[in-house]
Amino acid sequence: MFEQAISAMASVMVDPYLLGLIFATTVLGVIIGVLPGLGATTGAALLLPFTLTMDPVHAIAVLATIYVSATFAGSITAILINTPGTSAAAATTFDGYPLAQKGEAGRALGIAVISSTVGGIFSVLILCFAAPLLARVAYEFRSPEYFALTVFGLSMLASISAGGAVKNLIGGIFGVWLSTIGAERVTGIERFMFGNYELYEGLHFVPIFIGLFAISELLVQSKTVDKIIKTVSMKAVKLPTKEDYKKIWKTILRSCGIGTFIGVLPAEGATVASMIGYSEARRWSKNKKEFGKGSIEGIAGAEAANNAATGGAMVPTMVLGIPGSGTTAIILVGLMVHGLRPGVYLFTEQVEKVYQIFGSMFVANVMFMLMGLYAAKLFARVSLVPTQILWPIVFALSVIGAYAFQGQLLDVWLALIFGVIGFFARRHGFSVAPIAVGLILGEMVETNLQHSLKMFDGQWWLILTQPLALMFLIFAFLGLCGPMIFSWITKQKD
Amino acid sequence: MKYMKNKIYLIPLILAIFSLSVIAISLQLDTSPEMIVGDSMQARSFPIFLMVLKLFLLGILTYQFYKNKPKAVSLEKYHTWGSMLLFLLFYLLTVYTDMFIGIFVVIFLMSILWGEKRLWVAFLTATVTPGLVFLLFDFVLKIRFPRGILMNLYYG
Repeated sequence: MFEQAISAMASVMVDPYLLGLIFATTVLGVIIGVLPGLGATTGAALLLPFTLTMDPVHAIAVLATIYVSATFAGSITAILINTPGTSAAAATTFDGYPLAQKGEAGRALGIAVISSTVGGIFSVLILCFAAPLLARVAYEFRSPEYFALTVFGLSMLASISAGGAVKNLIGGIFGVWLSTIGAERVTGIERFMFGNYELYEGLHFVPIFIGLFAISELLVQSKTVDKIIKTVSMKAVKLPTKEDYKKIWKTILRSCGIGTFIGVLPAEGATVASMIGYSEARRWSKNKKEFGKGSIEGIAGAEAANNAATGGAMVPTMVLGIPGSGTTAIILVGLMVHGLRPGVYLFTEQVEKVYQIFGSMFVANVMFMLMGLYAAKLFARVSLVPTQILWPIVFALSVIGAYAFQGQLLDVWLALIFGVIGFFARRHGFSVAPIAVGLILGEMVETNLQHSLKMFDGQWWLILTQPLALMFLIFAFLGLCGPMIFSWITKQKD
Repeated sequence: MKYMKNKIYLIPLILAIFSLSVIAISLQLDTSPEMIVGDSMQARSFPIFLMVLKLFLLGILTYQFYKNKPKAVSLEKYHTWGSMLLFLLFYLLTVYTDMFIGIFVVIFLMSILWGEKRLWVAFLTATVTPGLVFLLFDFVLKIRFPRGILMNLYYG
């Protein structure tokens, strides 16, 4: 197994086509990351239709590369123009931009590049070791365990950073309901199709995701057309000095652990990881006063954590079929589209492909480091592309991408409708990621509940007699009610 | 009713109406014979369960709104509403003329609507983008586009 994994990962390095593809996708990912509003999730949604004709490993490598490179690239604009290219880089603005204003933009970018690379590579290594172990545990899972696990995954939506807990759960339930559209899998009874037989097999994820992430973002960006972007001047990216390394190595290591752990939790992602990484960096720092004024520990804490979350988020996605973030939800769809069924069988029957994907993520981390060090200044200029040119192009890519998936115009209309729904949801403080996660998990929840009921002759409470299922349901309960109980206890103590 | 004067309660209300509509539609779904469903659920049960759960959460959300009084969301600028109207125009043009004519017109008008003053730049974007995307999808990805005025000329 170990030898097989090493040889599969090494095969990436000697595959010129795959290396070229990762290089091109890293460039694209960095461009997507620096363009405010686009981000890893929108970029992956737009690119998904382009991967349809690719080999499965190449397709997932493209999506994973977009994920890691765009997550890193958000820091470039966060530091230079005080606008995070992705939400995961929001914490980087706290200290990155103040340091850039002091004339040290190159140093800030250097710290961000190194921290991101260490975080990314650390999480890929953890992914390589943790994923097969978790897969072994998941081998024991049956329907009650999977049902409880998906309930746990849905409960974690409550703690996604955007929106409030209740709003996120409402979004998640809406997403689960969307998965019930079409013919019911056991009985074949048509649900909510209204005579439209193109919906017989249900809503497909691709057009819905393009609508929710790309079209809705287009409408959100239409509100910012008058915004004038000011950049901070920079000569070149500077590698951290010995003094800098001495100051930040502990922070980077801590954030690597935090980011990977947060990433592994279902439905949590890089944004939450970077916020926690930043606040922990501040808590443990000897120079707390520097935070908010250009602390390099602040930049390292946020950047190592958000890139560490990328590898972590791939663990539940590939092992359990539960996405760790909005972008991994799209990667999960990519896996399904290409016939790579996430779960235990992926690690037993297609282990070579799995490790090639991991190897691609490793290479992508090295490539974005080189690009960050040598071309950050160039990429920063991309962020100055006028919105009135960029977003109409995104519109064209979205509608054609939605059509290309199944060759159905209905998918184009669905993308537009869900774009408008996503826009109104975001307008009123609902995040669209829970809808996407709910849509993916919906089928798993219902199917596993049906199977569990059959297993226990309709006595649903017997699900609680299964130790693992009970554990996940307790976690779900704690995820939902834990913060409320904790604040109540704190109030009582006060 | 006095709370309804405040716009913020419109969202929970609309979502509650949606949930109740789903429940009403679900109740009209066919039922399966016992020998197929066995001890499992009828097709209607799961959506109804979801909507009841959603109504419960909407109750909590309304209470949160009542306690915290969030600010009403301000109305967007004409760019946003105009873009949505362009989506409608895209639908009409795609159905009655050709998808690529729809894309061309929407890109051109959207660029101008969003503030592009140079007509030639808007025109160039509207022409080059669908052209390149068509070449990529048709030649590389081998995808056939829906028939319309332009595609009939191309496919023959």
